Amino acid sequence: MGKEKGAGTSAKKNSLRARKTLVAYSFIMPNLIGFFVFTFVPIVFSLFLSFCEWDSGNPIKFVGLKNFIYMFTKDNSFRISLLNTVYYTVVTVPVTLALSLFLAILMNKPLKGRVFFRSVLFFPYVASLVAIAVVWMALFNPDRGPVNNVLMAIGISNPPRWAASTTWAMPTIIGLTVWKGMGYYMIVYLAALQGVSRDLYEAASLDGANKWQQFINITWPCVTPTTFYILVLLMVSTFKSYDIMYITTQGGPGEATKVLAYHIYNQAFVSAKFGYASAVAMILLAIIVLVTLVQFRFEKKFTSYL
Amino acid sequence: MKKRRLAAGIMAATMVVGMLAGCGGGSSSGGGDSTTAAPVETTTAAPVQAEVKEATGEDVTIKVALWDYSNTAYYKTMIDAFQAKYPNVKVEVVEFTADEYDNVVVTQLSSKQDFDVVFTKGTPALSALIKQGHIYALDDLIASDSSFDKSNYSGLVDQLSLDGHTYALPFRYDNNLIFYNKDLFDAAGVPYPEDGMTMKEYHELAAKLTSGDGNEKVYGAHIHTWPSNVYQYPNRTEKFNFADPTTYENLIPYYNEILAMQDEGLVQDYGVLKSSNIHYSGVFYNQQAAMLQIGTWYINMLCENVKDFNWGACALPNDEGMANENCIGGVTPVSIGAYAKHPAEAWQFMTFVCGEEGAKTLAECGIVPGYSSDAVGAIFDALPQTYPNAPEGLSKYLSCEKNVMEQPMNAKNKEIDTIMQEQHSAIMTKSVSAEEGVQQLIDRVTELLAE
Repeated sequence: MGKEKGAGTSAKKNSLRARKTLVAYSFIMPNLIGFFVFTFVPIVFSLFLSFCEWDSGNPIKFVGLKNFIYMFTKDNSFRISLLNTVYYTVVTVPVTLALSLFLAILMNKPLKGRVFFRSVLFFPYVASLVAIAVVWMALFNPDRGPVNNVLMAIGISNPPRWAASTTWAMPTIIGLTVWKGMGYYMIVYLAALQGVSRDLYEAASLDGANKWQQFINITWPCVTPTTFYILVLLMVSTFKSYDIMYITTQGGPGEATKVLAYHIYNQAFVSAKFGYASAVAMILLAIIVLVTLVQFRFEKKFTSYL
Repeated sequence: MKKRRLAAGIMAATMVVGMLAGCGGGSSSGGGDSTTAAPVETTTAAPVQAEVKEATGEDVTIKVALWDYSNTAYYKTMIDAFQAKYPNVKVEVVEFTADEYDNVVVTQLSSKQDFDVVFTKGTPALSALIKQGHIYALDDLIASDSSFDKSNYSGLVDQLSLDGHTYALPFRYDNNLIFYNKDLFDAAGVPYPEDGMTMKEYHELAAKLTSGDGNEKVYGAHIHTWPSNVYQYPNRTEKFNFADPTTYENLIPYYNEILAMQDEGLVQDYGVLKSSNIHYSGVFYNQQAAMLQIGTWYINMLCENVKDFNWGACALPNDEGMANENCIGGVTPVSIGAYAKHPAEAWQFMTFVCGEEGAKTLAECGIVPGYSSDAVGAIFDALPQTYPNAPEGLSKYLSCEKNVMEQPMNAKNKEIDTIMQEQHSAIMTKSVSAEEGVQQLIDRVTELLAE
């Protein structure tokens, strides 16, 4: 009798679990189907294309490693855009991180008008990129922009020509990216900071720790998980960034702000070299995966979960 | 936890290749049967000709790929007139956004969209579509249609051919001119510019007309930011050929002259124009520039927008002593798509919009058609009657002895164009000298053509 009952419950349990699993799957299915159709299939097709030549009309021709060999031996634009991408990422990521953490700490203090400042800082993130870019370019207009007017007023007779100079175009775009992004990351940091227990600071100040020591020993370790999260997001988004250059400089002057994603776009949709563009996209994918893997490897050492 | 986040990281990373999804769609079938291929390297392979058959007179619907349809009046006028003449043919317009039109049409045709008529924005886009096998050749149709006379197009039809086959008819052809503000010239007591002036004279003229400071400044001339705004000068006299890097060194003196004008503050700085996205039209309407080098499409815009000063036009300056013998400009080609269901009716439509009737409709809107006839010239000469600010005798700038094509048909035009734009921006922002910049241009295009 007891045995039978036990068997009955376990069968019931099993069917219950199956039903629960089914319900769970049905929830993730729409997203999964979307991912499969619009992301996974194109990636596999793109991987296949990267070993081919295809101009969208004539038959696809398998060419082996030719695209990759050409990329690394002959294509100067690839080399330039790879270096530009690295430059853009290596500067944008730490600057955004540092600034957004700094602002978050400021905004975490009982400051007068705190809500107003938070909104102001968050505003570039919610505003449309196109609008933000127009404003930024107007500020940094080489002849009539307020920035250069101020620089000239304080005695710099030959201020940088910003987006109209091969040297300064990239820093100008980096500035725009940081300005646009930092408000969002500030909010993320703010959430993390509010999770840090007041007791820790009280104990530290009783022990005679100054503000800097408190930051190094309490704040920083407590927000490392957030820092890690932001780091991964920022890295991925800067590596594949393209829209900002498209709106502001179209990769120019010369090739000063041409990044990998821009090169891919040009090769695919302007030059109709879909095979070669796929090959470059694969390299970009490999770089991003590699960087992300390295980051996850260091996650344990770097991050402390309290 | 870790695994899931790793997966999320990779997923985010892979989004980057998602941008190629657009071309992935309906392509797995192998991208076109081999017969439609018209490879450029092997001229022996004959391209697929549009099928010649009598239009049946049955009710059919043709699909026409276009941009700016909804905000351009003449298309509707033309299509209505066409349907009145051929009541059995219904025209279905498929409209795409103007900015990315060329790139969108490539992806559409690669999934074998059955567009019967395909408009392209210029020869670079057309050449690329031909190379990809997305466009029918028209030789058989032209040969079989006795009512079609290509001499009405001042050599443009022949210039729209690649490897000896014709692929398009010219819907519009634009010459490029110097438009000038007569009132500003009168106020400065300077005689109007004339056909055949040299670059130096142009430069000096701009200096005489530059005045004022700050927001009140009037520039002597305005040079827009396209590479063609420089290469047009030697292009018109045929010292420069877009597809031939050995002619590029002739750009250097023109670049140096224009850079000097920029340094002296006679024209607005390229970098400023670029970063503020300044459109040439407003600068001239607001009388901030005395001269403007731009295409003849501007005639229509001037008629509509300029009421408070008189304007005139003359041929581009050059150093070879050429007056008005050659025109220089771009063509708007019309073709038949390679997956067209009704090529015969498509041909009827093309010959209509690119013929006498279509040309008149265009000319009445102040747009220069590819088809030239006395009737078209007369419409332009009559402009001052309706628009008193317009000059007399514009027709002589619309049909020249020779219509030079800005970008002659070449399979690699689009790629040359990309390089040209990059080098142009480097030179105009003075990131490199004109000599260095042109040398880089020569090296890059030579390498591209050698592939």
